[in-house]
Amino acid sequence: MIRNLLCMTAPVRDGFDIPCHELGPTFSHLSVALVAGLHGDEINGIFILSRLADFLNGVEAGKYPELRLVKRVLIIPAVNVLGVNQRTRTWPFDKSDINRMFPGSTGGETTQRIAYAVLEATKRADFRIDIHTAGIDFEELPQVRLYGPSEAERETAHWFGLSAIMERSTSPVFTTTLKHSWKVWPGQSFLLRVGQAGTVQLEHCQRVFRSLVSFLGRTGVLEGVQLVADDEEPFLFNKASGFRVFAQKAGTFVSDRQVGRWVGANQEMGYIYDSINGNVIEKVLSPVAGLLTGIRRHPLLFEGDLILRINRKG
Amino acid sequence: MSQNASAAKAISSTETFFTIDMPYCEQMEIRRTRFTGGDGPRGAVVSGIHGDELEGLYVCHRLATWLEQLLATTPEALLGSVELYPALNTLGLDTLTRGLPVFDTDLNRAFPGSAGGPLPARLADAIMTALAGASLVVDIHASNIYLREIPQVRINQEFQGLLVPIAGRMNLDMIWLHGASTVLETTLAHSLNSRGTPCLVVEMGVGMRITPDYCDQLVAGILSAWKEQGVFAPGLTLPATSHTPLIADDSNVHYLNAQTSGMFVAAASHWTDVHRGELLGSIVSPFGGSVLSEVRSPVDGVLFTLREYPLVYEGSLMARVMARKGGRP
Repeated sequence: MIRNLLCMTAPVRDGFDIPCHELGPTFSHLSVALVAGLHGDEINGIFILSRLADFLNGVEAGKYPELRLVKRVLIIPAVNVLGVNQRTRTWPFDKSDINRMFPGSTGGETTQRIAYAVLEATKRADFRIDIHTAGIDFEELPQVRLYGPSEAERETAHWFGLSAIMERSTSPVFTTTLKHSWKVWPGQSFLLRVGQAGTVQLEHCQRVFRSLVSFLGRTGVLEGVQLVADDEEPFLFNKASGFRVFAQKAGTFVSDRQVGRWVGANQEMGYIYDSINGNVIEKVLSPVAGLLTGIRRHPLLFEGDLILRINRKG
Repeated sequence: MSQNASAAKAISSTETFFTIDMPYCEQMEIRRTRFTGGDGPRGAVVSGIHGDELEGLYVCHRLATWLEQLLATTPEALLGSVELYPALNTLGLDTLTRGLPVFDTDLNRAFPGSAGGPLPARLADAIMTALAGASLVVDIHASNIYLREIPQVRINQEFQGLLVPIAGRMNLDMIWLHGASTVLETTLAHSLNSRGTPCLVVEMGVGMRITPDYCDQLVAGILSAWKEQGVFAPGLTLPATSHTPLIADDSNVHYLNAQTSGMFVAAASHWTDVHRGELLGSIVSPFGGSVLSEVRSPVDGVLFTLREYPLVYEGSLMARVMARKGGRP
């Protein structure tokens, strides 16, 4: 069932809604809340959650007789509806970042009201998942992000079956995010980062779709899921395991490397060309052996731009 | 050092303090102007962190005019030094963009930064390094393009013991004390104050415009504060100051957010006394003749924030009214 999380007026057009999917047994306790599209240009998450809603609607309609949705699930494919339609990361009217407006308020600015409605609808869930991408310049391997997690969250993160779990400490930058606002409520919270903004990366989306179905199976929300052994063991990477490579020179970066591949120390990862003369000015090498978890996708580089993120085992 | 000795070397210069290569041909450069006299305290003004805020740029121009005149006539009166950083977000200012272009980042959420890494972090670090040790930094912001503000200073309560006495001499109309929990720790001001360099955040006027009267009011206040700190000789005559600030905090500031979307038309004038129940403005629809919502003052007080940009979404801030706590007669 689709319902409107929030209905608001607009200055000179029809009002706008933030629709969400309510699935599973009505009136039961909310078990899983999934949110995407806090940023309007992060389309991977929107696509994944819309596909998941379609799948779970199919389960409820009997399309998959072996499956049964036994607990309630809330899916908000896109919070920043106007941003999605205008292809902007922020709220288009005043350029504010909705994910810097939490916990929000009922009487505050428009984006604070949106934030409040999203938090109210999701905060009591047993499991809360917020899906993001990197920016439009960078691609990240689909991963679970943990910020100052509880031991239970650290354990549960493996249930997604994604190859990388990144653990970070909390930062002042994130205190006004949805993920941070969830922290004071009982239950577990997760942030998934999937690919880059501004596009749908089908392989990443399919991977995360499967991981969410697997997660729903392992949490007992979706009965009948055939849980298979993971293709590879998920790695828990702390901050110390991450190595970032920044551009020593400005120019044009070109690489054909793919995230999710293991690379060796000093392996060639790409080239920076002089943007005017076309000559190679820097050969970019992997500083360590490890998993390529992020790579620059926009070719034009300022001096100092992040090019690669590689995480070392152990 | 004697005043005569400082007079002999009082100079001004404009220099680049940060550069970074851009992808194609160009370098991004950030400049400052220094007025150097004696070995006394160092005052600094920064502005243009947001590329759509111009009030501070004009303040820097007016300060430079005054300081150039000082160096030409009585250079011995500059006992310390002054640094002006009018345009910290040069790319944003040159392209009418509030944040850092390309990086889609608010520079004032990137502090304290780091020496390596992407532009926002490097620039923030360079600014922190340049300002470290100043006796007073004034970080000037206009409001955004939507709201007009009276000249005011905003202070985190964590630092109010040090900063409120300085702010009281700044010739401003309001000191707004914010609870520590509502302050963003990644701003320039919070980062400087946390590291022991006093920094006042001034906000006034409106985005994309300059308000010359407000700018001159602030120039007089900054000069007065610097003189108090010993940047100038005690006997130096400064532009007169006449403004005493009202004190505001969470207990006496009332927000008026739009009940519905439409076009806000003000009925009251900015920076005036208003009474409880007084009509401050209306929200109307361009599709019909009716008034969608009336906006009335919830208290007797001062209308210190008023919407400048007429279109409002449900929730948009239209006005703020401060109930008087004393201070200004």
